[in-house]
Amino acid sequence: MSSFEDRLRSVVGDKGLIVDEAGKHPYLTDWRDNYLGTALAVVRPSSTEEVAAIVRLCVAEKVAIVPQGGNTGLVGGAMAHEDGREIVLSLNRMNRIVDVDPIGYSMTVEAGVVLKVIQETASQHDRLFPLSLASEGSCTIGGNLSTNAGGVQVLHYGNARQLVLGLEVVTPAGDIWNGLRALKKDNTGYDLRDLYLGAEGTLGIITKAVLRLWPKPKDIATSWIAVSSPEAAVELLSGAHAASEDNVTSCELMSRQGVEFVLSNIPGANDPLSDRHDWYVLLEWSSTRARREGDNSTGLREKMEVYLADAMDQGLVLDAALAQNEAQSRAFWALRENHSEAQKREGPSIKHDISVAVSRIPAFINEGLAAMKNALPECRPVPFGHVGDGNLHFNCQSPPGWDKARFYRHSEAISSAIYDLVVGYGGSISAEHGIGRLKVEELAHYRSRIELDTMRSLKRALDPLNLMNPGKIVQV
Amino acid sequence: MGAEGTLGIITKAVLKLWPAPKDVATAWLAIRDPQAAIEILSDAHAASEDNVGSCELMSRACTDMVLRHIPGTQDPLKADTPWFLLLEWSSSRARTEGSEGISEKMEQFLADQMEAGRVLDAVISQSEAQTRNMWVIRESVAPASRAEGPGLSYDISVSISKIPSFIDQGISAALAILPSIRPYPLGHIGDGNLHFSFMGPKGMDRQTLHQYSPAITRAVNDLVRDMAGSISAEHGIGIEKIDELAHYRSKVELDTMRSIKRALDPKNIMNPGKILRL
Repeated sequence: MSSFEDRLRSVVGDKGLIVDEAGKHPYLTDWRDNYLGTALAVVRPSSTEEVAAIVRLCVAEKVAIVPQGGNTGLVGGAMAHEDGREIVLSLNRMNRIVDVDPIGYSMTVEAGVVLKVIQETASQHDRLFPLSLASEGSCTIGGNLSTNAGGVQVLHYGNARQLVLGLEVVTPAGDIWNGLRALKKDNTGYDLRDLYLGAEGTLGIITKAVLRLWPKPKDIATSWIAVSSPEAAVELLSGAHAASEDNVTSCELMSRQGVEFVLSNIPGANDPLSDRHDWYVLLEWSSTRARREGDNSTGLREKMEVYLADAMDQGLVLDAALAQNEAQSRAFWALRENHSEAQKREGPSIKHDISVAVSRIPAFINEGLAAMKNALPECRPVPFGHVGDGNLHFNCQSPPGWDKARFYRHSEAISSAIYDLVVGYGGSISAEHGIGRLKVEELAHYRSRIELDTMRSLKRALDPLNLMNPGKIVQV
Repeated sequence: MGAEGTLGIITKAVLKLWPAPKDVATAWLAIRDPQAAIEILSDAHAASEDNVGSCELMSRACTDMVLRHIPGTQDPLKADTPWFLLLEWSSSRARTEGSEGISEKMEQFLADQMEAGRVLDAVISQSEAQTRNMWVIRESVAPASRAEGPGLSYDISVSISKIPSFIDQGISAALAILPSIRPYPLGHIGDGNLHFSFMGPKGMDRQTLHQYSPAITRAVNDLVRDMAGSISAEHGIGIEKIDELAHYRSKVELDTMRSIKRALDPKNIMNPGKILRL
C-alpha cells in the first residue's frame, strides 16, 4: 500500500506537491506573521478534477483540508493549525481565464486567477470588474469570493457577493457541483451560490466562477481632500451623490496618524497638501460616458472642482488637491492603499474591521477613540476606511518600541472595548475581513444561539466529517 | 430567500430602498433581430451611465396580437419589421437647468445605433400618453394571448448573449414537433429571461394542442439545460416543477439541497413536498 504522500503525488504530480519544510513555509504563515501552522503537505492541483480527487483521498484518510488562494487574509482563514494533521490545498495553479463575454457582461475564471489579472482582462474588453482592494496584485478570486471581500468600490457596485453570477464548487465529499450559470434570474430551489460565498472554504472549495462585468469608466476624477472632522467627511459624501449625478465610486476616510505612518514608512510617499490636517478624504467619481472633444464644462473633473470649491466656502473642506493626471491619482491611491503595509512596518497593530450605519460613523469614531485610549493610554489609534459603506478599519497601533508580546497582552481589553461599542451601535464585528481563526470566539460571543446553531447545522449537514477548513468561523 | 417556505417562515424584513426616478426616457425601437437587441443593450449600459431600467424584446407576432385584441392600442411606429425593443432609461437625478437630460442622451445613443444598422427606426416618447401606450402594448401580451386562443408558454432564462441562438433553436425545435404552431417570443432580455411562448395552430382546440405539450416542453427544457440556463427564471418550483427540477439538476445539487433541508427541518414540517422530495 502506497503512502498518503504518494497518492497525493499520483494526482497532482511533482509540480503540484510540496513536502519540504522550506517549500511549505510561505503557505503556512500569514502576511501579518500572526500564525505559523504545520501541514502534511501543500497540494497545488491544476484542475477541478484534481481538486475533487484530492478531496476524495482526504476523505478516505480523514485528513482535513485548508483551502488557500493568494494567502493575503487578515484573520487566519487560510492558515493550517499547528498539529500538522492537515493539508493546505492551494488553488494558485488554477489561474486560467476560461471565457470573456463582453456582450453578456460576464467572465468565467478559475479560482486561482489573481484579482489584478481579472481587472486587466475586463479592461481589455472595454469592461470593468469593480472589485478593488489593496492586495489586488496577489489575492486570488477564489479567496475573494470565499471571504465575500469588500474593498474600495463597494459603495457603487456592492461587495463580492454582488459581483458573481455562478460558481463551480468541489464539495466535502469530493463531488463537483457545476453551478457555472451566467444567469441573473434563476428561481430553482436553494441558492447554493450564496451558501458558498463567504463560507471561507468550510463548506466546499470554490474552483471556478462566472463574474459580472460593468461598463468601463471613461471619465474619472480623483481628489485628496483635507476635512476638519469625520462629520464633515460624511456630509461631503452626502452632497457628492447629487453633484456627481450618482457617480461617486469611492470615498475613503483617513486620519493624520495613518497618513503619517505611510509618509514615514513607504519610500516615495508624499503629502499632496502643504499643511497638516487631522482628517483626509480620498474621493473618486467615475462615469461610463467619455468626455466629449472640446467640452471643458461637463467633464467630471470640472464638476468636482465646482463641488469642492462650494464645500470649501461652506467650511466642509479645508484644502484639496484634484488629480491632474493618472500618475497623481495613483499617488493619492497609494497613500490609502499603503495604510496596512505602513502599519506593519511601524510595528505590531490590532485590527478591527467594523461596520455601523453611515450616519453614525462620526459618533462611533469619537467614542471608539476614547475607548481605545482608555484601554491603553499610550496606544496610537489608526481609524480609516470606506466611510460610504459604514465600514471602518478601526486599528490600534502599538506604542513606539513595544514588541508583539508586550502589546498583544492588551489586545483583549482593547478589542472588547471596541466590539462592545460596535454591538451597542447595532454594527458588525467583521465587515469585510471574515471570521477565519482570529474571530471565532468573538462571533460565538456576539451572535445569538439560534444563529450559531443554524450555522452549525449547515456545517454538519454538508461536511459531516468536519474536514473542510475545520476550526474556522464556527466550532462544531 | 427563494426557499419557498421550506426552511422557515419569513416574518419581517429590512428592505433596501433606491432613490425615486426623476428623469425617465422611454423609446420604441424597430430593430434588425435579437442579436441587434443584445448588442444595443450592451452599449446602452455605458451610454446611459448604467441607467437602463427596462429592455423588453417583442416579436412582431406579439405586437400584432396585442393590436388585434386590445382596444385603444396604437402601433408606435408603422415599421414593417419583425422585432421590436421597448427601452427605458431612468435616472434618480432630476433634469437641471443647463445640463443634459436623459432623453438627450438617449437620442444621441439611438442615432449611433441606427448608424450601426441595429436600429431600423425609433421613436422616443414625448408624453405620458405615448409612454403609457408603449407599456400597454408590452403588458397586454398576456391578455391578448388569452383572447387569441390556447397556447404554451415557458418562463426560462439563459445568459444574455445566448438569447438569439436560444430563440432560433427553440423555435426550430418546437416547429419540428408541430409545424403549424405560431411562436411569439418576448422577454426581459436585460435579465436573460424569456417568456418563450406559442399560440396554437389556427383552429386547433386546447385538448389537441396539449397532446403536443409534453414533447415541446421536453424539447424547450432540454435546450435550456444544454445552454446552462434555468427552467424557472422567476416563477419558482413549488409543486408544479418538482419533477422537472429533479430531472434537470445534477445529483450533487439535489443532494446538497436535501442535506440542507434535512439539517434545518429534520421533521419535514415546513411546506413539505415543495421544491424537493426527500
